[in-house]
Amino acid sequence: MVISYVFRRFLQMVPTFLGATLLAFLIIQAAPGDFTDRFALDPNIDPEQLQRMRERFALDQPVLVQYANWMWSIVRYGYFGESFSYRAPVDAVIYPLVLNSMSLVVVSLFFTYLLTIPIAVYSAVRQYSIGDKVVTFLSFLGLAIPNFFFILVLITGVLLMQPTLREVAGSGTVLEQVLRPITYDIDRGLAFPVGGMRTSQVYEGLSPLGRLQDRMWHLVLPVLVVTTASLASLVRVLRGQMLEYLRSDFVRTASAKGLHPRTVVYKHALRNALNPLISGIGTLLPSLIGGAGLVEFVIRWPGITPAFVAAVKAQDLYIVMGLLTVSAVLLMLGNFLSDVLLGLVDPRIRYS
Amino acid sequence: MTDRGSDPAAATQAPLPEAVAAPSPGPAAPLGTSQSSIVWGQFRKHRLAMFSLYLMAALYGAALFADFIAPYGEGQSFRRGEMNRSYAPPTTIYWTDPETGRLTRPYVHPVAPVRDAQTLRVAYVEDRTRAYPIRFFVEGRPYVPPPLSLVPVGIRNALGWDWSATTRLYGVEFPATIYLWGADQFGRDVFGRVLFGARISLTIGILASLIALVLGTILGGIAGYVGGVVDDVIMRLVEVFATIPSLFLLLALRALFPIEINPTAIFVVLVTILGFISWGSIARVVRGLALSLREEEYVLAAKALGGRDARVLLRHVLPGTAAYAIVAFSLLIPSFILTEAGLSFLGLGISEPASSWGLMLAVAQEGGIQTFTQRPWMLLPGLFIFIAVLGFNFLGDGLRDALDPKLRK
Repeated sequence: MVISYVFRRFLQMVPTFLGATLLAFLIIQAAPGDFTDRFALDPNIDPEQLQRMRERFALDQPVLVQYANWMWSIVRYGYFGESFSYRAPVDAVIYPLVLNSMSLVVVSLFFTYLLTIPIAVYSAVRQYSIGDKVVTFLSFLGLAIPNFFFILVLITGVLLMQPTLREVAGSGTVLEQVLRPITYDIDRGLAFPVGGMRTSQVYEGLSPLGRLQDRMWHLVLPVLVVTTASLASLVRVLRGQMLEYLRSDFVRTASAKGLHPRTVVYKHALRNALNPLISGIGTLLPSLIGGAGLVEFVIRWPGITPAFVAAVKAQDLYIVMGLLTVSAVLLMLGNFLSDVLLGLVDPRIRYS
Repeated sequence: MTDRGSDPAAATQAPLPEAVAAPSPGPAAPLGTSQSSIVWGQFRKHRLAMFSLYLMAALYGAALFADFIAPYGEGQSFRRGEMNRSYAPPTTIYWTDPETGRLTRPYVHPVAPVRDAQTLRVAYVEDRTRAYPIRFFVEGRPYVPPPLSLVPVGIRNALGWDWSATTRLYGVEFPATIYLWGADQFGRDVFGRVLFGARISLTIGILASLIALVLGTILGGIAGYVGGVVDDVIMRLVEVFATIPSLFLLLALRALFPIEINPTAIFVVLVTILGFISWGSIARVVRGLALSLREEEYVLAAKALGGRDARVLLRHVLPGTAAYAIVAFSLLIPSFILTEAGLSFLGLGISEPASSWGLMLAVAQEGGIQTFTQRPWMLLPGLFIFIAVLGFNFLGDGLRDALDPKLRK
């Protein structure tokens, strides 16, 4: 039964995928000018690249035939076309970008869910307590502060601490002994890295463990920013759900039976309240990808969004189209995953 | 690209359909009280929402009269020789007489740029020997005051009248300069540019939400009311739009237009794109409401009396979705304010010399480390984005509570 549900849900993705890619394709087609002609005259364009595209994409055919060709070459060869600004096939360009962005998004997603549940449960169980009010207040703040502004403020904070930390680094005191292992680079006065994905000067020379550690350091600030954004909205949703279920009849029954309050809260109320959170993975993903995007831009994280913006500015259309397609696929996979999970935890959905 | 901000569909989930289905007034409603006055009465009890209402009114007022309030014009820069005020810090205002120590009318000292021979940084040194009082209602650069400024430039020129005013709220005489919140890289007043930027940042949100609202209610209404193939087509379209992350959809659509176009054109482009990609969530909810409303007896009555479909939809079905629509509208605005700020921050939105909060932050960010350590006032526009978004969120919350009969006190 579960397998047939998963299969049905998978089949539903096919028309959506075709629709979304067609939309992406049409947007790019709507861009003014016949760009293959423009490229053919441009001496900076690699003629080999143009030749490769002509062979695969049949660029002189009607739009729908072109779309079919484009789709076919993606499915069959993983070929998205050529990037003229990178002078390389699109797939080779975007593959590392997608990986970099996903590392940021997946880690943030993990922390979001890890933190949402305890905070929201606490806030709902102790409604109107001081702690609940603080949580509500903070989640309003978290909703209103733009990601890119928040990361700028954090960077300001780190940089303002720099002179003090530098002094500590030269002092040889106990404080230095304490701070050295818990700061990123105390000799330069940096408590956290403020840009990039890794320390470019030394990264190649590091051991595998050192590399991992270096990457984790660089994840701290962006993950903090991206997590708080999604945390703020999820906590509000889950708190509302919890409040509703805590007042419901079956929870009252459970308490009246004499069950332990913890069992009532976690096994009866939370179990039901979690549903929108699970289906929320699907809607959370696009906002995470988008929200992480501006953060990536500020801290020069080599992810999807900075490359997307650069491609838009350089009118590198096949990169734009490739990234649109890949992000749509990621989104659909996220939706698929959340629906399957929802089907697993909630039998009502499986059978409808 | 709602990186933060609110999702109007999620925020208005459960209670509203009931608000529509059961329009019975709350217990507090005496006979003869109109729906709108009940809602207003409820809204006034929401203290945060009322505070936000005043706050937003003040922000919009300041934006409308930015020309009058700001001491300098939007693009008026000071960047040459003795008048170089690039990144000048906020001007210190003195209230006391240096000799007697008693309160006097506020005055400022002129500053002069001095370049440090070693670090090559420009510092601004006050000339304590000269004092310039701050004057009110002074003559400044001419501007066209609202509401005359809403008349297109072409018509103004054709009529040939001089519509400009020169009075500004406050100012100091040259060579003194007054920067309440410091100056930017071209020596332009950050305080003034925050107000000028508010015009764009605050209107884009409203206009784009209007477009999304109209598209969303009409298409959602048609889908729910007509049903069948029409419903399928519209809802598949919504799904397809929802499959591409909205930031990237926005960026891709932006790629259809040249990067360098004039500020008015880019304003129109942004409003259209934002409205065009965001109607889906509204349409989905309105469709659900329309589906249940079309089974209502009064709709059946309207049809039985021979009302045409379009009339029944517009006069009888869609008004039933108004409560949801109003709340969704007020909660879409802050997300658009954030999106515009983000897009301008990426360099794909409003461009110089016009100003918008996101653009000002982009300039601050380009300034690198010095921005943070030496000229933190460049980050002030971010605070305004924050305030505006928070204000609209509270307004939306207040509206939702006021429109929901279950929550009436």
